Parts: sequence; structure tokens; C-alpha cells
Amino acid sequence: MELKELILSALQSLRVNKLRTLLTMLGIIIGISSVILIVSLGKGAVAYITEQLSSFGTNVFSINPGTSAFSSFASGAKSLTMDDVETIRSDTSLTNILSVAPIAVVSTKVSANDIDKSLLVQGVDHNAQNILKPTILHGDFLSEEDDLESKRVAVIGIDAVETFFGEEANPVGEKIRIDDKSFTIIGVTKSGSVIGAGVLNNTLYIPISVALDQIEGNVDLQEIDITVENTDIMDQTIEDITYLLRDTHSLSETDEDDFRIQSFTDAITTVQAITGLLTTMIAAISGISLIVGGVGVMNIMLVSVTERTKEIGLMKAIGALDNDILAQFLIESVVVTVIGGIIGISIGIAGAFIISLIVQIPFVVDVMAVIIAVGVSMLVGIIFGLYPARRAAKLSPIDALRYE
Amino acid sequence: MTQTPLIQFEHVAKKYPLGVGEFYQALYDVSLVIKEGEFVAIMGPSGSGKSTTMHILGALDTPTSGKYLLKGKDISLYTSNDLARIRNKEIGFVFQAFNLLPRTTVLKNVERPMYYGRIPQQERTARAMEALKMVGIDQKANNLSNHISGGQIQRVAIARALVMNPSIILADEPTGNLDTKTATEIMTIFQNLNKKGHTIIVITHEETIANYAKRRISIVDGSIVSDKKM
Repeated sequence: MELKELILSALQSLRVNKLRTLLTMLGIIIGISSVILIVSLGKGAVAYITEQLSSFGTNVFSINPGTSAFSSFASGAKSLTMDDVETIRSDTSLTNILSVAPIAVVSTKVSANDIDKSLLVQGVDHNAQNILKPTILHGDFLSEEDDLESKRVAVIGIDAVETFFGEEANPVGEKIRIDDKSFTIIGVTKSGSVIGAGVLNNTLYIPISVALDQIEGNVDLQEIDITVENTDIMDQTIEDITYLLRDTHSLSETDEDDFRIQSFTDAITTVQAITGLLTTMIAAISGISLIVGGVGVMNIMLVSVTERTKEIGLMKAIGALDNDILAQFLIESVVVTVIGGIIGISIGIAGAFIISLIVQIPFVVDVMAVIIAVGVSMLVGIIFGLYPARRAAKLSPIDALRYE
Repeated sequence: MTQTPLIQFEHVAKKYPLGVGEFYQALYDVSLVIKEGEFVAIMGPSGSGKSTTMHILGALDTPTSGKYLLKGKDISLYTSNDLARIRNKEIGFVFQAFNLLPRTTVLKNVERPMYYGRIPQQERTARAMEALKMVGIDQKANNLSNHISGGQIQRVAIARALVMNPSIILADEPTGNLDTKTATEIMTIFQNLNKKGHTIIVITHEETIANYAKRRISIVDGSIVSDKKM
């Protein structure tokens, strides 16, 4: 009851100077709304990336050459070969493996209908279809036979079709030249992944045996994708393959792995960790404006104490204890910051909703962030309201009553 | 058996520091006794020390030396919070100006001392309404304090002074801002309250106001120069 009365009294005092109250709240509103906006967008981005990565399947992991992502990219590590693929495939102890899909990538000249373009060509076998999960728009994906017989056939992404044959064309049966060698198009694909679509829809898939043996240039095995049956023992499978490849590559105990194994779950965890860290950092930077807002609140509360000195004198004369005065001004300060916080939360959520609609990511409201925002607003009110409230509480009743 | 006086000043002096080694002495060796049920006017010209007397009487300040016994208890050395409790329970103030909290209804103003006295809300409202009725202003209970006249403000202040049923009602120039007719009305209220047994102390510099009291104490230059029953 006492608290309710104090809050009502605080609201009454704040209503007298509406504009001043609003301006006082502005720092808090800006601080809280930007924190909520950033956290919501960060969470939305994580949800979006997770959803996209999950579309490749959570029972997949990949082996890449080199000791780090940088080394394989920068120095063109060549530690993976088709021998590794065969070793994994032929090891009968690896019973959890469903499929092993090697991928060799090369950027080379592609031409058709008098159009020349440098495109990404991926050498894959039929297993890649289970991992990339493309939608087959026309024809078929590569078959096991295409690879075994090293047929010069190609499956073309929808964007590449548009480049060489025009929009909505069906080029199945048409010829296309890759590295000046003629290939027959047997299928058209469209990637369902929004993240990978930009690349995968503008690529050509050819049998890996053809890519490695017949295409000139730096054609190396860039990835081996492995699907497993039971994800619960995926870590064990990864460990088994690590031992197997280390053995195959004749690495000593002190040598580092010359390949990297990463599951999509790892990738999701990494993305979540990076995005989470970035979100926290940006939110913390935005939170600095809360300090500025707090100083504004302190300033106005000091003005308010001075303006209401006679009022404080009267309250003390009729029996208000120091703590009664302290509580009244402290509650007033907290009410300002909490109302500012609530307005900030509303603006932040509304902003996140609008932006998520525009950039098409899931709209996520982080309840914990909202709770923390209310808590922080309250804390700012207490910290920055304490000094003015103490000053009011310590006023002598006579000096306060005499104040002009 | 001798009754304990309500108020007893024993050699009360008050000095205010002005600077290093300098001070202003507002009261010199003042001794007085006020019994329960008295109606006392404390008079004096400006700067005489009557306001200082009022501050000490009202537990708003403490003497530099001497003793102030209220109901037999020496409150001279009380802490600021102890004095606030004394003011809340034992003293009802009526000031010349700035009597009511702005932006607050008449009822809430009268309830306020009870709020500080930790009296439950239901009892507060009932007692405040009763006090407002006693001074004939209960119909204005829900008006904001800045929407009533000067005379009405003083009535509300008297209601607020009465509401905790204090030992003393201390009025500092209560009619200073009022016209003669309204001043008469206010002083009549004090007279009636005194008839009902309330102890009233009025600080004034006006003879006409002092005439309503039954005892007149005159202070000049910080000392009592006369103390007469009327």
C-alpha cells in the first residue's frame, strides 16, 4: 500500500512537467530500445542461420584439407585425395556411415550459345544429391554410372541456365563446353538453401572422376561430406575417421591433423557463438547511452529537489522521516527510468519487428533481454536517483521551509 | 499531585553560527511553562526571536543550551528522525503560507501526517474526513489544494493539524495572508478547538489576533519581556 501510494505520488509529480519528464526519459528510451533492437535482431539472425544450416541435415559432417580454414583456402592444401575416400568407404568397421560424398571444385571457363563465362564447376558423385538436396527441375542428377564410366555429362544450376540458355529454358540434352570439352546437360537443379543458393544455383555438377582426370587446372578434392545413420554416435564416427586418416596420411603422434572435420552442428554452434558475442558487444556499447540517460535523470531530480524544497520542509514538519523523503524521490526517479525502459522496450520490439520483415529474418523477442532491460532501467533509476534523494532527505526542515 | 506541564523551557538559548567564531544569538535564557488546554499567543516584533521560539516549540529545531521538556521528556538532544516522530504525533502545524502540498487533493493533504504515522489507509480517510468536517470544509475534500481559497487553505491546514490528535496546535502567523473576515473565522475555529480542550499556541505580531488567546507572552530581543493572562 505504501509503495502504491509512493508510485501514485511520483506519477502525479511527473505529470506536472510532462515535456521535461519525456526529455529526461529520452536517454533511457534510446539506450533500452537500441539494446532490445540489437538483441532481437541478433537472435533473429541466429535463428535464420541455424534454420538454413539445418536444411543440409544434422547427420552430416565434412572433412576439409589443411589444418585450418585459412590454410586450406590460402595455400590450397591438397591433403585429401580420392584414396582417402576409398579408405573410408572400404573400412567395414565404420558401420554408422550412410554415404561418403567427395567434392572437387574448380573455377574454369564454361561456354554455350556463344557465351563464355568463368564458373564454379563441382566434381561430385551421386552421393552429393543426398547432402546438397537440390530440387531437380528437369532431367536427373548424376548417377553412379556417370562417375564410374567418366561420362562427360553435367547438371546445371538454374542461374547458370539463365546465363547460357535464357530464363525458364530447359537445356537438358543441350551441349555445354567446360574447359573446352563438350558435356551433355542431363539435369537442371535449384538449391533450396537460401545461404548456399547464390553459389549452388550458379554452378555445374560433373562426375568427380571427370573433374579430377579431364579438367585442367587446380582441381583438388576440397571436401568429403559424410552422412551418418545415428547422430548420437556421430562423435565416435568422427573420431574413428580421424584415426583412420591420420594413419593413412602417415602422421606421427606429434603431428597435427592435416585435415579438419566439422559437423553442421559444430558450424551452427560456431555461428551461434559468434553472433551471440557480436550481439552482446553491440548491445553493451548501446548500453553506454543508459549512463548518459542516468546522468540526465540525476540532473532533473536535483532540479526537482531544489524546486520542491518548501514541499520537503512541509513534509518534514508534519512528520516525514528522512527515509520517507528518500523513498519518495527515489521512487520518482525509478518511475521515470522504468517508464522510459518500458517505452524503450516497446520501440525496440517494434523496430525489430519492422526490420525483420524487411530483411526477412525470423522475428524473435528475447524475454530474458526484456526482463534484464526492466531490471537495468530500475537500477539506473536507483543509482542516479540516490544522490538527489539523499540530498532531499538530509534537508533541515527549517531551512527547507524558509527556502525562497 | 502536581500535573506535569505540557511544555517546559528551562533556560533555553539559541545561537546561529554566522562564520568562523561568529554567531547570532536569537534567544537568551528563556524559561516558560505551558499547561495542557492553554491558548497562548507569543508576540513580538520582527527579529524578536518569536520564530526561533516557535521552531524549538515545534521540534523543528533544538536549543543550543537549556532544556525543552515536552510532556516531561527532554527532547533537546533528540535526533532528526526522533524529532520528526514527535512532530508527527504531538504537534499540529498551521503555517502562514505554503501550508498544503501542491497537486494533491485536500483529503490527501489531511491524510499525509497519518501516512507518516503509519496509520492504515481506511482509518486515514475516515479520520481525515472527520477533521475536515470539524473545520467545515469536508465538501472540498476532493478538490486540489491549489483550487481553493486562502481561508479554505487555512481551514484544511487546521484539519491536518488536528488529525493526529496532537498535544499542541502550533500556528505561525495563521492569518497573515487573510482578510479580516476570514482571519476572524480562523481565529474563532482556534477558540472553539481550545474550548474542546486543545492546547493552542499562536505566533503573531498582531494585537487583534493575540486578543483571541487567554495568555500572551511577549518576546523582545530574544528574551521574554512579559507573560500575562488575559
